Amino acid sequence: MNRWRRSVDEIQARKRQVTECERALEALCKVTACFQQMAISIGSNSDGSFLREEMDETRALAHRICTGLHRRLVPLLTERVTEPGQEDRLQVERMWVLFLTGLENLQQDLHKASDLIDRFPLKQRNDRRALVNTGASDGVTGVSARAASVQTPWLAVEVAQNPDLKTHITQIDALVKEMLQKVSIPFWAVEATQEAWVEGAQSQDAAHDQDETLEEMMVVSEDDQMSGCCQPLNCKLGCMFCLST
Amino acid sequence: MTIRNVRDHGQRFRPRMACLKKVESVMLEMQDPKTGVKSQPQRLVITTIPHAITGEDIVAWLTNCYSIEAEEAWALGTMLVAFGYIYPLQDHKRLVIKPDASLYRFQTPYFWPAQQWPVEDTDYAIYLAKRNIRKKGTLELYEQVQYNSLHKWMNHKWDFIVMQAKEQYRAGKERKKPDRVVFDCQERAYWVVHRPPPGTVSAMDYGLERMVDPNTEEKQTSDFFRRIMIFTQQSIMRPRVKSSVSIGALVKYSVTYNKHDPFLAPCLPSNPWVTDDVTYWLLNMANVEIPTKMRVERWTFSFGELLSDPRGRDDFRLFLKKEFSGENLAFWEACEDLKWGTAATMNDKAQQVYKTFLTRGAPRWINIDGKTMEVTVKGLKHPHRYVLDAAQTHIFMLMKKDSFGRYLKSPVFKDTQKRAICPDQHMFSVSQLEANARKRRPSISPIIVRQLEQEEKARMATSGPVDITQVMSKLSNKGKEVAPSKK
Repeated sequence: MNRWRRSVDEIQARKRQVTECERALEALCKVTACFQQMAISIGSNSDGSFLREEMDETRALAHRICTGLHRRLVPLLTERVTEPGQEDRLQVERMWVLFLTGLENLQQDLHKASDLIDRFPLKQRNDRRALVNTGASDGVTGVSARAASVQTPWLAVEVAQNPDLKTHITQIDALVKEMLQKVSIPFWAVEATQEAWVEGAQSQDAAHDQDETLEEMMVVSEDDQMSGCCQPLNCKLGCMFCLST
Repeated sequence: MTIRNVRDHGQRFRPRMACLKKVESVMLEMQDPKTGVKSQPQRLVITTIPHAITGEDIVAWLTNCYSIEAEEAWALGTMLVAFGYIYPLQDHKRLVIKPDASLYRFQTPYFWPAQQWPVEDTDYAIYLAKRNIRKKGTLELYEQVQYNSLHKWMNHKWDFIVMQAKEQYRAGKERKKPDRVVFDCQERAYWVVHRPPPGTVSAMDYGLERMVDPNTEEKQTSDFFRRIMIFTQQSIMRPRVKSSVSIGALVKYSVTYNKHDPFLAPCLPSNPWVTDDVTYWLLNMANVEIPTKMRVERWTFSFGELLSDPRGRDDFRLFLKKEFSGENLAFWEACEDLKWGTAATMNDKAQQVYKTFLTRGAPRWINIDGKTMEVTVKGLKHPHRYVLDAAQTHIFMLMKKDSFGRYLKSPVFKDTQKRAICPDQHMFSVSQLEANARKRRPSISPIIVRQLEQEEKARMATSGPVDITQVMSKLSNKGKEVAPSKK
């Protein structure tokens, strides 16, 4: 009787850990997306010390999520697989593959960001002259707020040293290499849970309709002769005739 | 999981693209508020976005800054756009500079091309998914094709791709409206450069990948110095030619081939790589009945040109048939067959060649000098791929010195020259070019081409070259026993 209850407890604990990891994966996606939005502004005229500080904080958060998730996924994978947890195993393998992809994505963004920061140092006053005029104004407050709203899903607050950029990069490189060698999972056996094209068909909130006009805004530009609003979705040829007049 | 993190020993380092560093310094000079390019705001329906520059301003600035002609400035400007450092705000799929009032904007450094970071398919998949979310499924045709292919090959990552696309979309919405427009333009321009839609000329070809990372400094060990020493010694020992001689040869080659180079002279009717119209290739196929004038002119440049063009070789074979001296060409072709054939058939082929061409009293005996014959026959005891090389060279020179000249003066060649066609140049409008790009189809499969070639060869073998013994018997009218003609 005791043995039965214990295995039920084990199953529940495992389920809880798996859900934690799923949520951590979503949090990682969120944070990397915000980091990329900020990295896009490096070297442009909206670059500044505020941007760089926000990037550091976002990066530190990403680091915490990554190390925590790694620490939790490895035992889930290397545990002896008992009968009831079989479909669990597939899910955990899937999370492993997605985590690895996310790490590689973050790794690439970090490399790029590091390169750009080296090329556009902002230490002196006239370094700002070198920044590229891209037409963007400072817009990262919303993004950084979004990044800051992400919380690590585990309850225990872990003491972590926030590494600086170069150390972070070497740590991630080492982590990815280690992950590739440690657990042998057939990557290509993981299948997507979503069909193709599904994400476009899902209904989004009303803010979506505003985005249609973004495309139109880019086409109906300042040219005075183009009074009629040409729908870019209808005829591409039509657009070209418009532009050639 | 991506190749970058796996320790393999393949060739995966991109070569150093020195031009990118130079372009970046040009870009930075253009930013200068006093001496750079003048910028103006771009008026859109609900907002204004600063830092738009006109094409004519860019070209004028380049002309002034580098003291060059307007045409060269225009070409330089087009290069800046093609590399993705500046993007057009209207007509975003054509990466050219229009020296008029059309607007451009500078690309943010995150989206600049970099030598060390190849553009990842994962990122493209995320971009396509994001676009799908935004446009609710109405992507362009080439984007749809790419999406389906990426969904198939990246199926194991697809959940992450969709998740990340959604998150990036939501993160993008956190920015102010004008910034969102700018970001969308930037991202779209980036992917037009790196995944060009059909009809856009891409500047991102960088050639072969390298075994070693060109950005790492090589450690100066004793091995390194030993290699340098060997290299220098070999350079000293190399045979030399006077520069007047080598330059003269280069000049002669350039003058001869000037009109035949598709980069320097227009292809007639049109270059298929540029206009997507394959008439040029169809007119120049191997088994075409009437060759083009340019092709026939090429045959007159050298004997090697004539032989390497299959249509030219056919013409030459016809001429030799009329002269009853086809055995030289047949021998040359048999040698080529041996050189390029499979190893399993080599022995048989070599024996066949010996029986047909070299032995005393052979049906198609070729006339080579005694020493070469001795060397060849000795080599045929242990045949290998290049055993007939000496004989082949001898026969080649014989044909070149003797038959080639006569061929160029023969009625066969003159007839071919007269019948050769010269197609007119195509003049495609922009819409026709787009239609051409849509109608592209793959050519016939190489398997079918090979089958046709083999059928052709079999047919030629049965139609029978004339045996020398047959000819002799006919001429001398003696009652010799006729050797069976080759089937």
